[in-house]
Amino acid sequence: MENEIIFTILALVAIVSSIVMISAHRPIDSALSFIVTLVSIAALFALVNATFLFVVQIIIYAGAILSLILFIIMFLNIKDANLPDEKHKNKWLMGTSLIVAPFSYILIDLIMRSDIAVNGIAAENFGTIKDVGLTLFSKWILPFELVSILLLVALVGSVTLSKKED
Amino acid sequence: MNTVLILLPLVLTILFSLATVPILVWMERRIAALIQDRLGPNRCHINGIRLGGIIQSVADMMKLVFKEEFLPSHIKNKFYYLVAPSLAFMSAFLTFMVIPYADNITINEKTYYMQALPTDLGVLWFLAFAGLGVYGIILGGWASHNKYAMLGSMRATAQVIGYEVAMGLSLVSMLITYGTISLNEMVTYQSQSFFIIPAWGIVIQPIATIIFIITAFAETNRAPFDAAEGESEIVAGYHTEYGAMKFGLYFVAEYIAMAASGALIVTIFLGGYQLPYLNTNDLINNFELVLWLIIAFAAVTSIIFFKWMKKHNIFEMPGLDEKKVYATLIIGFTAFAIVVMSYYALGFSEGSSVGVMILQFAIFTVKLFFLHFVFIWVRWTLPRFRYDQTQKLGWNILLPLSLVNIFITAIVVVGVNYGS
Repeated sequence: MENEIIFTILALVAIVSSIVMISAHRPIDSALSFIVTLVSIAALFALVNATFLFVVQIIIYAGAILSLILFIIMFLNIKDANLPDEKHKNKWLMGTSLIVAPFSYILIDLIMRSDIAVNGIAAENFGTIKDVGLTLFSKWILPFELVSILLLVALVGSVTLSKKED
Repeated sequence: MNTVLILLPLVLTILFSLATVPILVWMERRIAALIQDRLGPNRCHINGIRLGGIIQSVADMMKLVFKEEFLPSHIKNKFYYLVAPSLAFMSAFLTFMVIPYADNITINEKTYYMQALPTDLGVLWFLAFAGLGVYGIILGGWASHNKYAMLGSMRATAQVIGYEVAMGLSLVSMLITYGTISLNEMVTYQSQSFFIIPAWGIVIQPIATIIFIITAFAETNRAPFDAAEGESEIVAGYHTEYGAMKFGLYFVAEYIAMAASGALIVTIFLGGYQLPYLNTNDLINNFELVLWLIIAFAAVTSIIFFKWMKKHNIFEMPGLDEKKVYATLIIGFTAFAIVVMSYYALGFSEGSSVGVMILQFAIFTVKLFFLHFVFIWVRWTLPRFRYDQTQKLGWNILLPLSLVNIFITAIVVVGVNYGS
């Protein structure tokens, strides 16, 4: 019962802040409400006992990536005059949500019918650091290494691009 | 007993973080004075009682609390402006939650954790919330709408992003060594000893220790890495536009962050609540002997303190005679403590596990205050790094060094485990 109340509150916070994120006028508002979304999703992970995912979500997304994004937003020093004029934003939002509504109804219906919804709270050792590590390095070792190479390529690429300028 | 033991670590967290701030401010000023060969604040008193100058920091806190809450008129984003200091404060406070103050204690077959948050996440929790602390600075600087504040917060962000990498990597080498992320298990590991050397983190991983201490200084914006508030270049950095208790929150948050990193350094590298060569079971089994040693220690130190006070406390203040008050208090307290301890030491009553717990609190506190002393010592000894030097140190020296350290650690750990 308590879990359901906490889940509802966190889910509402996540949804509202993600709506604010896509509809906010200024980039800094978007970035900050994105942090709220990420932290509440991290809390949802903690609620289903995935402690490692919870802490990694906060370290990587909320702690590192978003502070980098905020840093860049501050660095660009965007003025109100630079922002696009969004006159019919509310109409667009209403219209698109009306169009999307039937599809999301189908999606919700699908999820409720599948066995994901029935499972509820996961097993005791689901998502702990040991479990995640063992699964990653035994079952998914090839995709894991491929992803790390992909990240390395992006890293080297960004360094080369920034070196070219001077 | 149940509730007391569960609430105890929470109360200790508040004591170690919030309640030590006036003492830290006092330490900062008096040690600065000691290093610069002057006296420091020591005249502020309540009816003659000065507590060596602690009353001065209490007076400063009162001033901050009762100052007018002033909101500069050019601030457009009032919400961000007001929420920023509390973000900094909150994340600094949350980092403290996972520090173990004593070993897990078992009473009536029930185990109690001496951490405010009994989780196994340990180090990762610290990294997560230490990283969130920078939002307070970014938002404060941005919402202040001021060039200096903006510059200060951008410096702070760049610095924290750069040093967090090296900090995380130096922690990874410690994780490989200890084989766990739970802070309490790390402390238990450190109670062993190789030959005659205690297996403290600082002994088995000196490079990681140095990297972690440097990055902890940078992460908490303490000197010599306090370019974010370099008052000679950018007025006061991110808190230029803040006054009264809004500034007070930033001020307190900095000290709490310093205390939290100090506590983590103690836990990971300096053996936590353990004494060298003595693990918790040894202490519990030889509790009577330990108590006699403490009694002797208490008697000797109070006599030494008494003589030192008589020699140095020479100011004449109006009101009560300070020396007499302290002398009565010290003699009374020492006598009371000795009577209580001899009651247990003579074996009239069984209280060894609780006694050892209190002893471990004391050891942890002593180590933590030693770390505070080091933090302040460094601040008043080293000049501030220039901003580009800070970045160069972080990316060009600490990052490769910590990577090499991980590599060597992994080879050694695998080699040792391969043989056995």
